[in-house]
Amino acid sequence: MQSTRPAISAQQFAGYGVAAIAAVLVLYPVFFLFQAALDVGDPQVRPPTAYGLDNFNGIFQYPQILLNTLTVSVAATVMALVFGFVMAWILTRTNVPGRHLFEQLMAVPYYLTPLLGALAWSLLGAPESGFINQVWRALGGNGHLIDINTAYGIAWVMALFEGSVAFVMIAAVMKSMDPALEEASQVMGASRLRTMLRITLPLVVPGVLGAAIFVFAEMLGSFAAALVLGLPSRYYVITTAIYQLIQQYPPKIQVAAAMGVSLFAVMFFMLFLYRRIVMAGSYVTITGKAFRPRVADVGPLRYVLLGVCLLYLLAAVGLPLVTLLYASLQKIAVAFPTAANWTLENFRVAMTMNAARSALVNSLLLAFGTATIGVVLMGLLAWVIYRSRLPGSGLIEYVVMFPQAVPRLVFAFGLMWAWLVFPLPIYGTLWLLLLAYLTVFLPLGVRTIAGVMLQIDKSLEECAQMCGASWTFRTRTVTIPLLVPGLVAAWLLLFIASIRELGASILLMGPHSKVITPSIVESWFSTSSELTAALALIQTLVVALAMIVLVAVTRRVGAHPVD
Amino acid sequence: MGNSKKPDVTRRTILKAGVAMPLLGIAAPAVLAQAPLKSPTKVLDFMTYADVAKAEQEGQLVFYCHENEPGTAGIMEGFRKDFPKINTSYVRAQTGALYTKILSERSAGRFDVDVIQLSDLAPAVDFQKKGGYEFYVSPETPAYKADHLSSPAGSFFWTGVDPAGIAYNSTKVSAADAPKTWQDILNPRWKGSISCKISASGLQFVQWYTLRKLYGAGFWKEFAKQNPHAFDSRVQLFDRLAKGDDLITAIGEYPAYILFKDKGAKVEFVAPADGLPATPLIVGAVSKAPHPEAAKLFVDWAMSKRGQAWYQTNPNLYYGSVRTDAPPMPTGVRLGDLKLLYPADWDDYAANRDVFAKEWNGMLGL
Amino acid sequence: MQASPPGTSASLSPPSPHIEVDRLEVYYGSVPAVRGVSFNVLPGEQLTLLGPSGCGKTTTLRAIAGLEQPTAGEIRIDGAVVYSSQQRINMRAEKRGLSMVFQSYAIWPHMTVFENVAYGLRVRRTGTAEIAEKVHQALDMVQMRSFASRRAAQLSGGQQQRVALARAFVFSPSVLLFDEPLSNLDAKLRADMRIELRELQHRLGITSVYVTHDLEEALAMSDRIVVMRDGLIEQTGTPDEIYRLPNNAFVADFVGSANLIRGRHRPDLAADGLIALETSAGHIVYGMAYGRPVGTEPVVSVRTVHLRISTGPPAAAQNVWRVPVRQTVFQGDFTQVHVGWGEQQLVARCAAMEPLAVGQDVYISVEPRHVVVLGA
Repeated sequence: MQSTRPAISAQQFAGYGVAAIAAVLVLYPVFFLFQAALDVGDPQVRPPTAYGLDNFNGIFQYPQILLNTLTVSVAATVMALVFGFVMAWILTRTNVPGRHLFEQLMAVPYYLTPLLGALAWSLLGAPESGFINQVWRALGGNGHLIDINTAYGIAWVMALFEGSVAFVMIAAVMKSMDPALEEASQVMGASRLRTMLRITLPLVVPGVLGAAIFVFAEMLGSFAAALVLGLPSRYYVITTAIYQLIQQYPPKIQVAAAMGVSLFAVMFFMLFLYRRIVMAGSYVTITGKAFRPRVADVGPLRYVLLGVCLLYLLAAVGLPLVTLLYASLQKIAVAFPTAANWTLENFRVAMTMNAARSALVNSLLLAFGTATIGVVLMGLLAWVIYRSRLPGSGLIEYVVMFPQAVPRLVFAFGLMWAWLVFPLPIYGTLWLLLLAYLTVFLPLGVRTIAGVMLQIDKSLEECAQMCGASWTFRTRTVTIPLLVPGLVAAWLLLFIASIRELGASILLMGPHSKVITPSIVESWFSTSSELTAALALIQTLVVALAMIVLVAVTRRVGAHPVD
Repeated sequence: MGNSKKPDVTRRTILKAGVAMPLLGIAAPAVLAQAPLKSPTKVLDFMTYADVAKAEQEGQLVFYCHENEPGTAGIMEGFRKDFPKINTSYVRAQTGALYTKILSERSAGRFDVDVIQLSDLAPAVDFQKKGGYEFYVSPETPAYKADHLSSPAGSFFWTGVDPAGIAYNSTKVSAADAPKTWQDILNPRWKGSISCKISASGLQFVQWYTLRKLYGAGFWKEFAKQNPHAFDSRVQLFDRLAKGDDLITAIGEYPAYILFKDKGAKVEFVAPADGLPATPLIVGAVSKAPHPEAAKLFVDWAMSKRGQAWYQTNPNLYYGSVRTDAPPMPTGVRLGDLKLLYPADWDDYAANRDVFAKEWNGMLGL
Repeated sequence: MQASPPGTSASLSPPSPHIEVDRLEVYYGSVPAVRGVSFNVLPGEQLTLLGPSGCGKTTTLRAIAGLEQPTAGEIRIDGAVVYSSQQRINMRAEKRGLSMVFQSYAIWPHMTVFENVAYGLRVRRTGTAEIAEKVHQALDMVQMRSFASRRAAQLSGGQQQRVALARAFVFSPSVLLFDEPLSNLDAKLRADMRIELRELQHRLGITSVYVTHDLEEALAMSDRIVVMRDGLIEQTGTPDEIYRLPNNAFVADFVGSANLIRGRHRPDLAADGLIALETSAGHIVYGMAYGRPVGTEPVVSVRTVHLRISTGPPAAAQNVWRVPVRQTVFQGDFTQVHVGWGEQQLVARCAAMEPLAVGQDVYISVEPRHVVVLGA
C-alpha cells in the first residue's frame, strides 16, 4: 500500500511555525531600525518621506566617539582576556584549593550586573569623592589614586563584570584539550614552562582568539558602565551617544539610527569572523568528549594563586557590595563618616518609592514569563536548526543569531518604532518588554539549549523512530526528558538575563511597566547616590533570594546524567 | 475625549461662564471645554469643575513630568493623599525628552497621558498650538496673574517657579574665592570642576537665553572653555557639589540648595545682583486623555492653595508659587524678594531653541 | 495512526523477496556514499552488508530504515514501495514497521530496562498486561530478566547490547536491521554474542539485514553476504561462495587473506579440467577456472590457509616449490609464514607447527582446487 507524506506533518508545522515567529520577532524591528537610519525627511513625519544615506555622514561628525568606543572596547577586551585566561588557567590546570567553588563563583559578577559594578566603582573611584581616593588622601597621598571616570576606568568595570564570558570560553577550551598532548611533551623531557609555551599556548590560542573576537563584539555594544561612568566627564562611546541622541532635545533620531546600524554592521562582521575561526579551527567542541585535563601540583604556589582568585572576587563582588552598603547607610557618602552621618532614611525612602516596589514585582513576573515562554520557543528553534532536516534551517539559524550582532539599545530602538505602530495596544506595557526580551535573548537561549541538545546522541531519537514512535510521541517521551536538565539550566539563565536587562528596557519602559535595572539608572540620574545604592541593594537582595529559591526547587528536577 | 476648540467658536459660552473675566485680563476670551456649563463644586477646600465622583470612578491618573524621581513621586503623593481612590502613575524624563516622547506617542495614535508638567515654556506653547492641551479653565484661575497662565488661559498654568543662582562647596572654596556675579563662573580656576545641566533642561535654556541677552553671545562661548560636567537633574549637581566632585555649579537651583542644606551638606548659595534665571513649571491637562475627569481634578488641585502649598513645602520640590495669595517659601523667602530673570520675549525665546540646543550640545560633545 | 506496515509476521512462502533494494543511490551533496546498489533479502534470511569503512554499507542500511534520504532508486518491503525517487515516495521511518539495533545501543538513560524494552509496545498501544508478558519474555531470551527494574544508565556495554536487542524484537517486527551492533564489545564477548545472535535470529525467524566490517562475524552469522566497496557491490553470495570463489582481487583479499598470483595463461599445459599459468619467474601454477573466463593474463587467488608448508617434500605432484623462509609471525592459533617465491612473497597461515628459522628452506604446496581464477 502506498503511503505518501501528508500535506504537512506535525513536525513541519511546529518547525515552520516557530521559525516564522522568530523571523517576525527579529526582522520586524530591524526593518524599522533601517527605515529610521535611511530616513532623511522630516523626523516628525511618519512614515518617512525621503530616503537617503545622509544620516551616515552624521556619524563622522563625531570621530572622537568612534575613537573612544575603540579605546574602551579594546582595553576592556584585553583586560577581560587577561582575567579570563589567568583565572581559567588557575581554576582548570592547577590544584588551587576550592577550585570547583571558585568556578561557580566566577558567575556572580555577571549576576550582579555591570550597572551595579559601575555604581559601586563610581563610589569607590570618583577622583574627588571616591572612597579609595579619600583613603589615599588620608594616608598622605596627593590628588587621586584612581579615576574611574576615564576610558580605562570604564574598561576596568566592563572587564570585571562582563568579562566572565571570556573566562567561560577559555576554560572550555582548556578543558577540551587532550592532556595526552602535554604529557607527550613532558615525557620527552620538556620542562613544565616549555610545555606550556610550546604546546599548551599554541593549542589554546585559536580558542582564545575566538573568545577575543566574541568578547570584543560584546564590549562594543556595552552600555551600563559607560553610561554611569562616562557621562559625567562627557566621555561618550557609541552606545551612550545613541542613548544621548535619542534622549536629548531635540532628539537626533535619524543619526542615532544610523549610528546603530553602523555599530551593528561592525558587530555582525566581528561575529562572522568569530564563527569562521571557531568552525575552521574546531578546537572547541560542544559535542566532543570533555577530557579531564591534568591538574598540575604547584606546591606552595597554590596559596598565592588562591590569593589571586580571592582578589578577583573581592574586586568584582565583595568590594562593590560592601561599598554600596556603606554608602546607603549614610546621608552623604564619605569614606570616614561622622556619627551623625549614619542613617536608615535611604532604605525607608527606597521602600516607599513606587518605582522600586512595582519595578521589582514587574521584573520578577516578567522574568518568569520570559524564561518559561522562552524555553519552549527556543527549545523548538534549537531543534529546528540543529536536529530537524527541514530545509532552510541554516537561514533560520542566521535570523536567530541576528540579535547577537545588534546592541540591545539599538535593537530596542527598532522595537520601539515597530511596536508603536502595531495595532495591538502592547506599547508601554509589560507585553512589549516580554516581546523585546524574547527577541534579544534568542541567541542566548538557543545556543544554550542547542549545546545540550547536540550532546544527546542522535541515535536515541532514531531508535525511538525505529520503534514506531511518531514525532510528537518521541519528542515527548525521549527528547524532552533527556533535555530537561539543559532546559532547566536555560530557564534559570533566561530568568537572570531578564532581570539584569538594561539596554532594551530603558527605552521601552512605560509608566505601568517599570523594571528593575533601568529604574536603578533612573534613580542614579535623578536622586542621590546614597538612595540609589539603597535601592540597588534592596533589589539585589530580593533577586538573590528568588534565585536561591528557584535553584533549590529546580535542583531536584533533572538530576540524572545524560549518558 | 474632549476636543480643543478654537477661541472664537463658542462665544456664547463665554457669556454663560460664571468665571470672573475681568480678573483674568486676557485679550482673547476663554472658553469652556464642554457645554453646557455647570457651576463649580467645592471639594476639600478648593473649587473644581471636574466631576469628582466620576474621577474616582476612573480611578487612575497618568502624569508625565520633568521632575526628578522623588520630586515626581512627591507630587503624586500629594494628590493621592487628598484623593486616595485615584491611583497615580508617572513617567519621568527631562523636559526635552519628555516632550519628544509625548509627541511621538500621539503621532502613532497613542493617548495614554492625562496631565503633563514641563519645565520650559517653549514646548508648552508648541503643544498648545498643536492642540495637545485640553481646554479647561479652572475655577482657581482667578488666583493667577495673566502672565502666569497660557494665552488664552485654559491650556496650562505656572505651577511654580524654579530659580537658579550659583552654588559652591564651602569646604573646598573659601568665601574669598567664592563667585559673586555671573561673570565669576568664567574664571579659569573652575575649569573642569564646574557643572551645568543638559540641553534637554528647560531651566538651562532659560539661563542660556537670559544671560546671553545680558552679556552677549560671547559669554557662553567663554563658558565652554570651562569643560563643564552636565547632568540631568539638580540632585545630581548638588550631590557632586556636596561630595566635592565639583567645586561650583553654574546653575544652582534654589530648591535643591534648600534640600541639601537640610541634609547637612556644606554648600552655599549665591544670588548674583543681575538676577536669577528662572523657569516656569508648566502644568496642563492633555487632550484625548484616558481619564479626563481625574485630569481636570488634578489641575484644579494643583492650582489650589492646597496643591500649591504642597508644591512649595515638599522637600523634593520646594517650588516658588506664583499664586497671588501664596505664603512665603519654607525658608521665609518670597519669590517676589528675588530678582528673577525671565525671557522678555517668549516667542524669540522659543525661536532660539534650536540655536541653544546646537550650541549646548556642541559644548558637551554631541 | 500507522499505515499498515508491510507485513507483521515472517512470511514463509517461497522466496518472493522480503526486502528489495533497486539501484539505490545516496549522495551527500556531490559526495557519493552509495552509487547504485541492488540486492534482495529473502524472508527469514540474514543478509550481511560487509565492507571496509566508507563503503556505504551503513548508509544503505539506514536508507532501508528510512533514516537517510536517498537520491535515487527504489526500496520495497514486502512488495510495498517505501521509497521511490521516480514516484516521489519516501515513507517515514516510524511507519515502515522495521526494527533496528544501533551501534551505540541507544539505550535511553532516563528509563529503566523494562521501560526501554516496552517502548515499542507502548507506541503500538499494547495493553499493560500484554506488555509485561512480552517484555519479560524478551528479557528472558537475552538473559536480562533480573535487570528489569535497573536504571538503564547503570548497565555495562554488553548488558546494554542485550537490552537493545530485546527492545528491537519485543514487538515482533518482520525485519531486524543491525548496524555493527558488536563492534564496541571486546573480542571474547563479541565471539560469544555472535553465536547468540545467530541462534536468536533463527529462533524468531526474522528477516535480518546486518552491517559489519568484521569478516568473521559476517561469515559466522550470514545466510548471504553482500561485499561492498566505495558505494558499489563487489560480490553477493553465500559465505562459502564468497570465501571459496571470490570474484576479484578485492573480495579475495578482504574475505580472508589471500595471495594473488598473476601469470601468462598456458593452455598447452591444461589437463584434467585444470588450467595452468606461468609466472614471470617461470613457476607453473595449476588452478581451476570454476566457469570463469580465463583470458591471456589471468590472476589467481590462493588463500593463505590453503598453502601448506613442510620441511620435507610433500606428496603432491603439482604446485610444489622449494622456497626460503623470509619471516615468521606467531599469532597464537596459527603462525604466519612469509616465503620468497619468484618475484613476490607468498604468505601462508599454518596451524601449530614447529618453529622455522629465517632463511631456512621449506616446501610450499597448494592443491589446484584451491587456486581460484578471479573474474575481471
